[in-house]
Amino acid sequence: MNPEAMLEKIAAEAGDKVLEATLSVPRRIQLKTQPSQLNPLLAYLKEAFGLAHLGTISGVDLGENFEVIYHLSNADTTVNVRILTPRRDPRIPSVCGVIPGAILYERELQDMFGLVVEDIPDGRRLLLCDDWPEGQYPLRKDWKFERPAEIIPGGK
Amino acid sequence: MEYKVSLGPQHPALHEAVSLRMTLDGEVIRDADLKLGYSHRGIEKLAEERSYIQNIYLTERICGICSHSHTTCFTQGVEQLMELVPARRGLYIRTIIAELERVHSHLLWLGVAGQEAGFESFFMYTWRDREVIMDILEWISGNRVHYAMNIFGGVRRDIDELQRKKILDSLELLKKRTDYYLNLAASEPTFVGRLAGVGKLSREDAIALCAVGPTLRASGIASDVRRDDPYAVYSEMPFEVATADSCDVLGRAVVRIKELISSYAMLEFLLKNLPEGPFKVKAPRKVKPNEVYSRYEAPRGENVHYIKSNGSDKPERLKVRAPTLANYAATIAMLKNGFIADIPLIFAAIDPCICCAERLVQLDDGRRGDSRVLSFSQLRAMANERAKKIDFKKRKIAWPF
Repeated sequence: MNPEAMLEKIAAEAGDKVLEATLSVPRRIQLKTQPSQLNPLLAYLKEAFGLAHLGTISGVDLGENFEVIYHLSNADTTVNVRILTPRRDPRIPSVCGVIPGAILYERELQDMFGLVVEDIPDGRRLLLCDDWPEGQYPLRKDWKFERPAEIIPGGK
Repeated sequence: MEYKVSLGPQHPALHEAVSLRMTLDGEVIRDADLKLGYSHRGIEKLAEERSYIQNIYLTERICGICSHSHTTCFTQGVEQLMELVPARRGLYIRTIIAELERVHSHLLWLGVAGQEAGFESFFMYTWRDREVIMDILEWISGNRVHYAMNIFGGVRRDIDELQRKKILDSLELLKKRTDYYLNLAASEPTFVGRLAGVGKLSREDAIALCAVGPTLRASGIASDVRRDDPYAVYSEMPFEVATADSCDVLGRAVVRIKELISSYAMLEFLLKNLPEGPFKVKAPRKVKPNEVYSRYEAPRGENVHYIKSNGSDKPERLKVRAPTLANYAATIAMLKNGFIADIPLIFAAIDPCICCAERLVQLDDGRRGDSRVLSFSQLRAMANERAKKIDFKKRKIAWPF
């Protein structure tokens, strides 16, 4: 199915789940949705178009909000499904029920942006080391790395 | 009694540091758990503070074997953001380097698989052939590992007539050798016996766990970014997506050998149809606010870069997902209910190559319920200590032979 026909079918069948649907460049469909509608939408896309392959989940710090983008692909199209979550209370639903392979990406989001993924099957740290301080999320824009001053043992 | 054994995170033979903790029941793995992050360098954060041109060389250093994959994925994404049409000859050369890289990576993998299966001469053969490709890459780019060929709008170096002829000659030799390996992988009974049935990953699991590359294709799914989402000049080239239905390590070996053969055909096509003209065009420094999701078929599978620009000369966000991360979830599924002796083979089959670990052993005492971590040297010292105490004369041990 070509992307144009796919976009029409999504508008006709899942119009209530989608806030915005566009075709940005060839073979790339952009969808916007509410966090509460994310799982039903992904289940629908998987069922209707075989969009079962999750490339990755990208998190972007927009200041007031965090944007979370789910990149899904099938044999001829890539669909980017995006949701927004407020910075004060960053919560997103887990999609592992629909796509089990999402687990590592969700754990990465928790580490790097401090998003709370609700109902995640395994919420341990993935990339940050065990003695990493709580509440430090490296990929947030306000997080800056300051190199500690070098102290030479025995130096003046 | 259940044992917990920990593999890694560091070992002289490991390509990357990964810690794997397994729950064993006898020799059978009941559960496995991965711990990552030992070589996390914060490249995504660093990329936000570098200009686009600096980022080409930064992304090159994400991986040693598929260095060209990451730069091409990044470069073609940024070219889309710049609305820049790269030079045609540049795209051809970019694709030639990409296929040469695939050949050298697959030959390296075959050698590693041979070594893990106890077939050392196979390792020697394939690594000898890999040198042919490495020499070509060095001749074209000046480097064996980080080729630094990509630039926005094309490539940095041209291929001249003499190089073109030499590569075509070398391909003839490699084709003959690869045919021999395909024959060997399909007919050598010890090799087939060791690889067949190891590391099973069913078709359904491969889809559900979002596996990529040869791991996915060996489970019978014909998915290849070069065909599904063609970039560079792949839409102009005829090629078959190699698959296997056996869902095991043997299938992954066969897929890679078939891909080698199709890569030779592609290289021949590219070199014979190399267009005349400039190999790069001028690119702007600043990029309009936009975003792009760039996909690339690296030797290990689908490589993904998400780039968001903000109008300056630095990206707002660069998200990288290397193929190995996508295959980890599937690796856990492959390890379950497998044998402990198959771990190196299963792990090597997704191509990060993790050898038998012997450096760290976590001993769980089932009766006392405590656990401690010993280094290999401590373990050896303990063994020596114990051997000294045994009075062999008293025990009257019969020599078995």
